[in-house]
Amino acid sequence: MTNTRGTDMAKKKDNLDCESDFKTHEHAEFFDKIIELIPARFYVPDETERKWFPGLSKAQKAKAKRKTNENLKKARRDRLDPDKSALTTLDLLKRKIEDEKRISLKQKLKKEKADLRRQRYEMKKAGIELPDDDSEEERDNNEQKDDKSVTYEELRLRLHRKIDELKGGRGGSDRPRSHEKRKKILPNKRKRDTVSEEKTVEDNKSADKGKGKLDVEEAAKDLTFGYVKIDDDEEHGKEKKKRRLSKAKELERAMKLEAAKKDPEKGDVIAKKHSWKAATSRAAGIKVHDDPKLLKQSIHKEKKRHEKNAEKWKERVEGQQKFKVEKQQKRSGNIADRIEQNKMRKIAKREKKLLRPGFEGRKEGFINEGGN
Amino acid sequence: MGRFKNNKKSRVIVKPISKKNQEDVSHVTGDKIPKSFVFSRMKLPGSVKQLQMDLRKLMLPYTALSLKEKKRNTLRDFLNVSGPMGVTHFLMLSKTASALNLRVARTPQGPTLTFKIHQYSLASDIAQSQLRPRCPPDLFKTPPLIVLSGFGSQELHLKLATIMFQNIFPSIDINTVKLSTCQRLVLLHYNKDTKLIDFRHYSIRLQPVGVSRRIRKFVQNHQVPDLRNLQDVSDFVTKAGYGSESEGDEEAATVTLSSDLGRVNKGATKSAVKLQEIGPRMTMQLVKVEEGLCTGGIIFSEYGKC
Repeated sequence: MTNTRGTDMAKKKDNLDCESDFKTHEHAEFFDKIIELIPARFYVPDETERKWFPGLSKAQKAKAKRKTNENLKKARRDRLDPDKSALTTLDLLKRKIEDEKRISLKQKLKKEKADLRRQRYEMKKAGIELPDDDSEEERDNNEQKDDKSVTYEELRLRLHRKIDELKGGRGGSDRPRSHEKRKKILPNKRKRDTVSEEKTVEDNKSADKGKGKLDVEEAAKDLTFGYVKIDDDEEHGKEKKKRRLSKAKELERAMKLEAAKKDPEKGDVIAKKHSWKAATSRAAGIKVHDDPKLLKQSIHKEKKRHEKNAEKWKERVEGQQKFKVEKQQKRSGNIADRIEQNKMRKIAKREKKLLRPGFEGRKEGFINEGGN
Repeated sequence: MGRFKNNKKSRVIVKPISKKNQEDVSHVTGDKIPKSFVFSRMKLPGSVKQLQMDLRKLMLPYTALSLKEKKRNTLRDFLNVSGPMGVTHFLMLSKTASALNLRVARTPQGPTLTFKIHQYSLASDIAQSQLRPRCPPDLFKTPPLIVLSGFGSQELHLKLATIMFQNIFPSIDINTVKLSTCQRLVLLHYNKDTKLIDFRHYSIRLQPVGVSRRIRKFVQNHQVPDLRNLQDVSDFVTKAGYGSESEGDEEAATVTLSSDLGRVNKGATKSAVKLQEIGPRMTMQLVKVEEGLCTGGIIFSEYGKC
């Protein structure tokens, strides 16, 4: 009884399954039909690189335009050609899904293999005995893919080794960069760079790190730097500041030098030596007085200046004297005036006493002349 | 009456625009600070004018950045102006049909070195060729350091060139110099075989060594890192990341700083010195040395006595 019921149930289930299968099949077909209506380039994303047209030059733009026109024509012809397979959207979509599945499967497989191998390696390290069944497989895999790392540490070590290798070949030559634009660099330079590029590629392969070090050492021997002031050391030439010769003496020296230059025997040698020495000290900032003409000019100027100053001083002194004398005169004049005025005032005062009313004047003598 | 033009025949219209009063003597070393003029007495083609501008920027801050020269200015005018302003060096560019010349001269009556420029690259080209061109704001506020290599001390003209270049830039006093003022470097390398001098201009950057990249970037940029995929902050700190190509540099390129520089580089720890190229790049050859300022006897000439 249960059997019959079971089979009944099974049959019913089967029927139901059939129906639902049929329904889903219908739905699937409906969706497929709709997908077919949509053109492929909208539904299945096209992953090819698109050219950025606004950024191209005129010639490039023309070329691209021609290419697109050709592509269009070709596509139209293919579309209407019954022989060539008409790829509908559906087909493209199916193809894409299959590709994806394949790739993910491959990756999974790879990962599993890597895990397995890592386990085996660790177990080997720990000294555990392994069954020899899969060793062949492992060896095969190892032979096939040599550069697969086993542990994270090994990866790092390998990377650092590679960096060192690259460094060894790096000797100051320009490495090629895709984004580098060489505008003003003349063709000579480009040739030189490509030659050095080839060399560095070879050097990388042979991995001579020693070469780079040698260059650095050699260069380090022959370096000169800008001036650095340390307390104890004084720059050359600044020490002689105290001993500054007077211009007359310098002129003498310059004349002597000129005479020496004219000397037939060693004149040339002396002249050359002196000019180099003078150039070097002038470049270093020290003033070199070796031209007698200029020296004479400057002596003359100095003399004139001195004379002018002496003139001015004399005038000044004279002026001062005059001023002093004037002032003294004025002063004595003023003093005399004052004394006069005082006297006048006294007389006036005396006279005033005799101006009383009814006074007829000072006695000037007796009326009768003679008297007693 | 109408206004009459000034009929004087003097033609001194050299207008260096310097708004700040620069010191003539360095407070620190007590030496006179060398100043320079970079100019040309003829009309230059476009790229050479840019090269002149690049050279002016290189010589900052002790140079006239917006020096304007007129056609009627002669060398005499520049000399007259340089006296009172304390200008010690002239760098003159000139272009002929065959060659581009750079003349470096010391002012009052100094020697003139004439360099023929075989090749040059402008600063803008170099910046375009780099992934991350670097120009911090105070890069041109301090004078550059100079390094000469391969010149040797045997040949007289090379010795003269060394001394000349050493005196173009002010000297530094190691007792009082601040590390933050050493921002730029000029490198001159003499190649004995080809007799060419390579001229390069770099900006100096210090990076602490021994710190993992993530932590260094975090401290420098102050950007909150993305901790979404991490379980714990310790993961962020201790996770060993891949180093950049240049991180495993040789010992020679690391220095021990004497003082702190910025937030990241601390004193008494190791830092790596990184040079990034800015500024013009030139390949030149010393062809002539004259005794006077573009006058005087020729004491050295590359192409024989002429």
